[in-house]
Amino acid sequence: MLDLRSLAVGYRNAGGFVLSGIDLSAAPGDFVCILGRNGSGKSTLMRTIAGLQASLDGTAQLDGEDIAAMRPATRARRIAVVLTERRFNPGLRVDDVIALARQPFTDWQGGLADDDRAAIADAVAVTEVEPFLRRFFSDLSDGERQRVMIARALAQTPRLMVLDEITAFLDLPSRVEIMALLRSQAREKEQIVLLSSHDLDLSLQLADSVWLLDGEGGFSVGTPDVLSRSGALGGAFDTDAIRFSPADGRFEIKTSGSA
Amino acid sequence: MRRYTSSAALVAALAALSLLTLTYGQIALPLADTLGALTGTQSTDLARQIVLDIRLPRVVAAIIAGGALGMAGVLMQALFRNPVADAWSLGLLAGGQLGVALTVTAAAFAGPAAVSFLTFFEGPSITLAAATGVAIAAFVMLAIGRRVGAITLLVIGLMLGFTSQGLTSVLLHFAARAGGRVYGGWQDASFAGVAPEALPWLALPIFIGVCAAVATAKPLSSLLLGETYARSLGVKVTSLRHAVLAATVLLVAPVVAFCGPVSFVGLIAPHFARALAGTARILPLLPLAALGGALLALAGDAIIHAPWEQHFLHLNAILAIVGAPVVILILIFSPAVRQWR
Repeated sequence: MLDLRSLAVGYRNAGGFVLSGIDLSAAPGDFVCILGRNGSGKSTLMRTIAGLQASLDGTAQLDGEDIAAMRPATRARRIAVVLTERRFNPGLRVDDVIALARQPFTDWQGGLADDDRAAIADAVAVTEVEPFLRRFFSDLSDGERQRVMIARALAQTPRLMVLDEITAFLDLPSRVEIMALLRSQAREKEQIVLLSSHDLDLSLQLADSVWLLDGEGGFSVGTPDVLSRSGALGGAFDTDAIRFSPADGRFEIKTSGSA
Repeated sequence: MRRYTSSAALVAALAALSLLTLTYGQIALPLADTLGALTGTQSTDLARQIVLDIRLPRVVAAIIAGGALGMAGVLMQALFRNPVADAWSLGLLAGGQLGVALTVTAAAFAGPAAVSFLTFFEGPSITLAAATGVAIAAFVMLAIGRRVGAITLLVIGLMLGFTSQGLTSVLLHFAARAGGRVYGGWQDASFAGVAPEALPWLALPIFIGVCAAVATAKPLSSLLLGETYARSLGVKVTSLRHAVLAATVLLVAPVVAFCGPVSFVGLIAPHFARALAGTARILPLLPLAALGGALLALAGDAIIHAPWEQHFLHLNAILAIVGAPVVILILIFSPAVRQWR
């Protein structure tokens, strides 16, 4: 169970963006999509939940434990992240990348035990990255890299997975595949999956719950249906050029005249 | 499995090359006499003196120093996320030389008492001076490394190295004029200048450095994924950086102090180790890089001490002939470097 208790995230410096008073929760098996335009605070919120950035106020708790107060080693066993930032050392092969996910569980040498190998084999199987295990990570295509990153996160056998805009560079079939995979993993492994995305259509179709950031420090939460009917989606995304149509459940381009 | 067979092969090669190096020099000794001198079973006093007092310290110094540079190269390439990083290319060795030169010059100008103090405690004091220089150079390069790409960092490291070496040579010139010839003939790299009684001062810090390198190997492997992912895997990145730097200083400073600026060994050995190990994880690389570095250093030493008609070769000349083309190949073909442009 993930509980955000009056959480405030952002940067305290002058002009820094702050998102505050967040009270939300997600249950094991939930596939949660965080939507919002660029700069609405998605990444900041996710980094804070993952314990990679200090919160300004309030707490994020995983199974009743304050994530920020966890020992780094404990947190690493429970939370896995996939981020847009990818500053990998170029000599890494795919199998190294995935095996490193087991570091929080291994002895001081980092050698793999049987359960580590089993977790890796399972992650490799569901993400179907077997064919490129021995290739250099830097030689992979964007789609292959994302599958590897997800395999790495799955191999960490976390209670909570935090994935930041992982589908940004993928074509539509790969996006559908990856989001469906994450959703089924959430169900099967009783994990909480938090995914931020620009992919409204897919997110609305697949998410159990949507956290919608409106870009002005406000947010709304609900099932995709509720949010689209309440007009919250329109509030967050409508511009001069497009608007959300609750009736169709999708965006349409405004024609001059109907505006 | 491949790692163990490679290690065994490297150990065998190292042993064979060591034996070979012990047999030749100004006076050639038959292999039987060399072995006899080593084991103390049967040999002449002369053979024993040549092998044990002259040649063995040189061979041991080459193996220890080469191994230390190879390991330090693995640490630095991971820490700087830079496939062409090593203690020499990033100016750490030159920084260490400058530290020694400053210390010697200061002693020379302070007077004969300071010089004789320095001479008496030559091992520890020179190592400490080198360590200070190496550590300062490492911190400077780490600060620069966060702002520039891999190739820029390499160029800056080489330039800072040249600057330090220039300063070192000027300083040592004045130190010599002021009467403090504590340290001469060491601006070029060589293993021949390591006296038998200096070997413990070479080996002890390096041994501690090896322990530190092994202890940081696991979190340093996580750092291969970048700082944020390393943190998400439970690594305390800042303290890890400091620990790795400390290990590097311990590995490198004694080499500078006793053998001078040995080039290219630390840069090439990690690539060699990665190719053999088939992984970039740090722990499996350390022994392979140490063995590879030791073999390369010893091979260089073996070539310059081969029975040429006159002694004309320098260690760094041999290492550069072998090493520089390898670096050029890395710069052109390594996907790692291409990604950095």
